Amino acid sequence: MHSKSKIIMVTVASVILGLWAIVTIIPLYWMIIGSVQDTTLSATYKPQMIPSIWSVAPFERFFSKTSAWRWLFNSVFISAVLTATNVFFGSLAGYAFAKLKFPGSKTVFWVLLSTMMIPAQVTLIPLYVLIINVFNLGDTYTAIILPGAVSVGNIFLMKQYMSSLPTSLIHAARIDACSEFGIFWKVILPLAKPGLAVLAIFTFVTSWNDFFWPFLITSSDEMRTIQVGLASFVFAESTDYGAIMAGATVGALPMMILFFSLQRYFLQGITIGAVKG
Amino acid sequence: MARVEFRNVRKEFHDQQKGTFTAVEGSDFVINDKEFVVFVGPSGCGKTTSLRMIAGLEHQSSGDIIIGDRVVNNLHPKDRDIAMVFQDYALYPHMTIRENLSFGLRNLKKPKAYIEQKVQEAASILDLESMLERKPRELSGGQRQRVAVGRAIVRDPQVFLFDEPLSNLDAKLRIQMRVELAELHKRLGATIVYVTHDQVEAMTLGERIVVMNKGAIQQIASPTELYAKPRNMFVAGFIGSPAMNFMDAELDGNRVLVNGTVLELPESMLSSSLADYDKKKVILGIRPEDIYGEDFVQNVKVEGKMTTSVQVVEHLGSENLVYFQVGERSVTAKVHPETKAYVGLEKTFILDLGKVHFFDPETEMRISD
Ligand SMILES: Nc1ncnc2c1ncn2[C@@H]1O[C@H](COP(=O)(O)OP(=O)(O)O)[C@@H](O)[C@H]1O
Ligand SMILES: [Mg+2]
Repeated sequence: MHSKSKIIMVTVASVILGLWAIVTIIPLYWMIIGSVQDTTLSATYKPQMIPSIWSVAPFERFFSKTSAWRWLFNSVFISAVLTATNVFFGSLAGYAFAKLKFPGSKTVFWVLLSTMMIPAQVTLIPLYVLIINVFNLGDTYTAIILPGAVSVGNIFLMKQYMSSLPTSLIHAARIDACSEFGIFWKVILPLAKPGLAVLAIFTFVTSWNDFFWPFLITSSDEMRTIQVGLASFVFAESTDYGAIMAGATVGALPMMILFFSLQRYFLQGITIGAVKG
Repeated sequence: MARVEFRNVRKEFHDQQKGTFTAVEGSDFVINDKEFVVFVGPSGCGKTTSLRMIAGLEHQSSGDIIIGDRVVNNLHPKDRDIAMVFQDYALYPHMTIRENLSFGLRNLKKPKAYIEQKVQEAASILDLESMLERKPRELSGGQRQRVAVGRAIVRDPQVFLFDEPLSNLDAKLRIQMRVELAELHKRLGATIVYVTHDQVEAMTLGERIVVMNKGAIQQIASPTELYAKPRNMFVAGFIGSPAMNFMDAELDGNRVLVNGTVLELPESMLSSSLADYDKKKVILGIRPEDIYGEDFVQNVKVEGKMTTSVQVVEHLGSENLVYFQVGERSVTAKVHPETKAYVGLEKTFILDLGKVHFFDPETEMRISD
């Protein structure tokens, strides 16, 4: 009886997950497939599920008509800087909240945490005004990077991770004549590596895929990230279907490669906060 | 020159939910140079907090701490000339055993050759030479424990601090390490402050023992004295296993009345302070090993007889534990295994009246003799 109901459960679950996977994959498949067949070759040719005419012409057109290389550079640069700052500040702040005693630490932490409940859209306009009108930073890398230099979510993630490291290690290091920064650098950081890896990957992907903030804060073509550039290209060339698909593939592919090569860390990232309440 | 002294040291913790909590109150003691002193008491009584205050990991709320001839109140742990072995060993998981052992000396910027020599010395004392390149997770519990001790040894500190270092080992290994630690103390000739909740460990290791309860020091004495003259009922009950029995009693001259039975005290037990309690209620304490079955009495000079029915018998092989009731209180006798005893037997027990203790029922303090 028991194993029979289990088999039914597994079957039902597999079917549902399978359908879901197909629904998720089809658009991606369509995007990639659409980028390797050239619809401009003949007016009658429509993109097909399994292409009969293969071509790299859509990619050529995408790269020649746009500043795609510049956009890609911007995306890589901005994502890399954001990853570095988030790892650095996130781990420092997380360590402080998890292990150091300082007056008001709990209060500060709860204030920070409560800001996570404010939807990003609410702060968007004030942030925009602040960056453009007060700091005069419009259309700069600083403007794109600064607001995301460290996220509360990452601080929280790091705090959770570091809370699980035994405090006695810190005490042992203190007795072992290690400086306070040395404790962080030589003892805590090496032990936090798995957590840092998760944070770094998630931050990189999020920054890469971010659209709205860079879109809002940039105005010149050469400051655009790949996602923003892509959108402007879609507006301008709404008929060149193949080139649009090629652009979308260029924007998405690096993250797909990253995901599949670092799958392990993504799975860890989902469970990491669940280790300790 | 490494005595450790507490002068009226107090430690409060401030907790948002529980409010102010006193973990250690008005602690006063002197630990002499090269002495092995054990802090013992039930869990949560403030042993670790006391040790951490010596180490400088926790700052006292008031009072002075002296190590050697310096007041160390405001000294950083690294400047106190101490080393500590933690309950969970606190080995750095990402470093090899060699790196673990040398971490402190490297931070102190000691010369390479000196560090190398110190590590080799410690490794050979603790039999760790073949494991220096391994990581802590590749070692057994006993080996990790030795690395933790080794990390303290290489520092050549004036004072060693141990926080329940054996509590994570199995019983056999614990006894073995106990012997090794005692030998290590002789060999190093250093002052050792050792914390445990295990009274057997305390009695076997300590030259002197500090018994603590609820943040307060109950008694500081040698193991023999703690056993023979516990200062109050807490110490009397905590030291010794099974614990000392207590009975409600009333004094009348040289006689003592226990639950209707009259016992005649020997001359040696009578003192002027006991005389103050004449015709008053007292608590009589007697250890299980000082009660015998009538049929198997050994070396008792002054006997007190008490007849009652046996409630439970536990056979431990080398001895039997016999439980019976005196008034409201249950009493345990540790008797020779050939002593006749079974549940329901009406039996006469012999109390060694030369070894009884008296306590004030109000203050629970020993009525001195
Ligand atoms: N950092 C702290 N904050 C609040 N209370 C603490 C802290 N450290 C210890 N305590 C409390 O102080 C008391 C004594 O703790 P401790 O010294 O660790 O006891 P033990 O004798 O078991 O080693 C305990 O009740 C404990 O809960
Ligand atoms: Mg403790």
